[in-house]
Amino acid sequence: MSEDAVIGLLVATVQFATLVYLAGLGELIAERSGVLNLGVEGMMAMGAVTGFMAAIATGRPWIGFAVAALVGMATAGVHALVSVIMGAGQVVSGLAITIGGLGFAAFIGQDAVRERADAVFTDQSIVGLSDIPWAGPILFDQPPVVYLAGILGIAAWFVLTRTRLGLALRAVGESASTTDSVGHSVTMLRSSAVLVGGAFAGAAGAFLSLYMAAGWTEGLIAGRGWIAVALVIFGAWRPGRLAAGSLLFGFTLALQPRVQTFDLSIFGLEVNTISPALLGILPFLLTVVVLIAISFRARHRPSPAPAALTLPYRREER
Amino acid sequence: MTEPTHAPLHTVARGRARWHRIIVRPVLQRRARVAPAAQAIAFVIGIVLALIAGAMLLWGSGNDPATVYQRMAESSLGGFDALSRTLLRATPLAIAGLAVAVAGSMGLWNIGAEGQMMAGATVAAGFAMVAGDLPGPVLIVLMLVAGAVGGVVLVVGPALARAYLGVSEIITTLMLVEVAIRIVEWLKVGPWKDPESFGFAQISPLPDQASLPGLFGQVHIGVLFAAALLLAFWLAVSRTAWGYELRMAGSSPATARYAGISLQRKVLTALLLSGGLAGLAGAIELTGTATRLEPGLSSGYGFAGIIVAALALMRPSGVAVVAFVFGAVLRGGQSIQTLGVTSSIATILQAMILIGALVAAVLLNYRVRWVRPVGHPSEKSAPQAGPAPGGAPPSEGSSHPEASGV
Repeated sequence: MSEDAVIGLLVATVQFATLVYLAGLGELIAERSGVLNLGVEGMMAMGAVTGFMAAIATGRPWIGFAVAALVGMATAGVHALVSVIMGAGQVVSGLAITIGGLGFAAFIGQDAVRERADAVFTDQSIVGLSDIPWAGPILFDQPPVVYLAGILGIAAWFVLTRTRLGLALRAVGESASTTDSVGHSVTMLRSSAVLVGGAFAGAAGAFLSLYMAAGWTEGLIAGRGWIAVALVIFGAWRPGRLAAGSLLFGFTLALQPRVQTFDLSIFGLEVNTISPALLGILPFLLTVVVLIAISFRARHRPSPAPAALTLPYRREER
Repeated sequence: MTEPTHAPLHTVARGRARWHRIIVRPVLQRRARVAPAAQAIAFVIGIVLALIAGAMLLWGSGNDPATVYQRMAESSLGGFDALSRTLLRATPLAIAGLAVAVAGSMGLWNIGAEGQMMAGATVAAGFAMVAGDLPGPVLIVLMLVAGAVGGVVLVVGPALARAYLGVSEIITTLMLVEVAIRIVEWLKVGPWKDPESFGFAQISPLPDQASLPGLFGQVHIGVLFAAALLLAFWLAVSRTAWGYELRMAGSSPATARYAGISLQRKVLTALLLSGGLAGLAGAIELTGTATRLEPGLSSGYGFAGIIVAALALMRPSGVAVVAFVFGAVLRGGQSIQTLGVTSSIATILQAMILIGALVAAVLLNYRVRWVRPVGHPSEKSAPQAGPAPGGAPPSEGSSHPEASGV
């Protein structure tokens, strides 16, 4: 295996990791506030198609990116209205967002399918750092969204663990009634978390359509939204572990199209005989294993899952 | 990583947002009397809202909504052939919806019906490969059994984890959807690749005798299975001790435990039955409409089944009605492609019906009261924030998981 092939694999790993990290971070914020949003797939599709169309119309990828975040936020607004403000079931509401979002994106993107994207993100090398062997091309010669995802991850970690807002947000995910009784608005906190989550998912969709695929097709998201949902659990609802998990999931995603070209043998196993489709199962199976491991550990230590996850809250009801 | 220490939570309130001190805000209050058949009304409201929103969407994209809707109605409801095409799509929707409703009637969410349908179709197709010489009726019956087994195989892990470890079935069943679809993709290019297909990979076709007999028009006898299963479920849930225990275990686990019902066994049965039904739906779809197994065979029926069950409030009669309506929407969506309109309008309508019905159900069960905040300029006294005037004090207990009724 040549050095170039390995670097190419790792560059793609970082990019796929960015994709699922952005969407996963949004889902993490929503889930820490106690709202499960199974609409990631639909929000990403909405962001991908609108971001792509806006970038074509204006010729500027950043405008497309911003539009995608806003549209993702608006899509998540439906989930916030139905499941937080109205207090209806989070599971069905989220699924409706996925099904409706995918359909809606396909509907408005009919004409965009044939468009070629010339306004896409390009790689930005960071002066000084991009010349470092190995780390340079892998980490510091990437599209700007990759750096932005890193900054957003640190910001989310800081807000969640070091600020009063973050404390209130985590508290409302553990016990809404307690948080309400000290004077916070449960509706406001949860709705904002869902909206921010939607913006992240929409932005992730735009990263897909404005860089990784550089185009829009129906079925572009291809289960990456579900991977983001899985990633939140795999990362035990913490931004740091989410980043580690996204690198692992990103690695499996990057490996899929490449694995059959690798002339490499590990412990007698010819790598190029591994099926890409079976490799794609790995993130989902790992997540199931992690969930079961968490439940075993929960006999001694509290579960990392927000205690109020999926429970709607109405002050007037017990 | 250990959590950093913070100031106690009550001191945090000082820094809270002040928006709800100045805004007159709505509060939902449970109605003392709910209209009879509130869910049916909500469903109709959902359909009307979805049709209005869909019309705006069509109009905005340069289509005439009246023409499109007329074509959808004619092709799905207008006449014998049209109805048979609707029933063809309603069949897998009803069985998948029933599968979700079985788990849902004890408060469990089988989000993985889509994957269990694929697993059922896969095992059924695999059985047809090894036993393709059997006569038609025998082969079909055994394929349907194999399908149920396939669904059970995919759900047994999540069911055991839920029953004995308390692992939420929502995520585990969902994860296995992607697993099942990717396994079929792997079979397609790998072990089950048709040696006679040179250009592009596809799975070998089913034997000729492995197709469900037709009934009338486009409909195959799967629709009778669906009707029989719905009837059996209705009898089992509402007329047997087993069904009573199942519902009790869902609505009040503590009572059920006190009455000597094994919750673990109930969870296990409900989820395994749910997976088996979804697997059966997959096998029926395979033998009824397809000539070979494909990764896209289920094409969203499993996920739509969740919406069907939710709209039906997990009741079999509701599942039948909603499945029929959704079948008509799917058939109508397919028919308008000849008008140059994409069939994705069907999935949009489905999602909008659900969202509209969810909102309508809440408004039928709750009254909206506009609460003026304490400390509002229009009020003289009230020095500090407290419970809203007239409103109940904040409840101590956590929220109710099924508060909305949907």
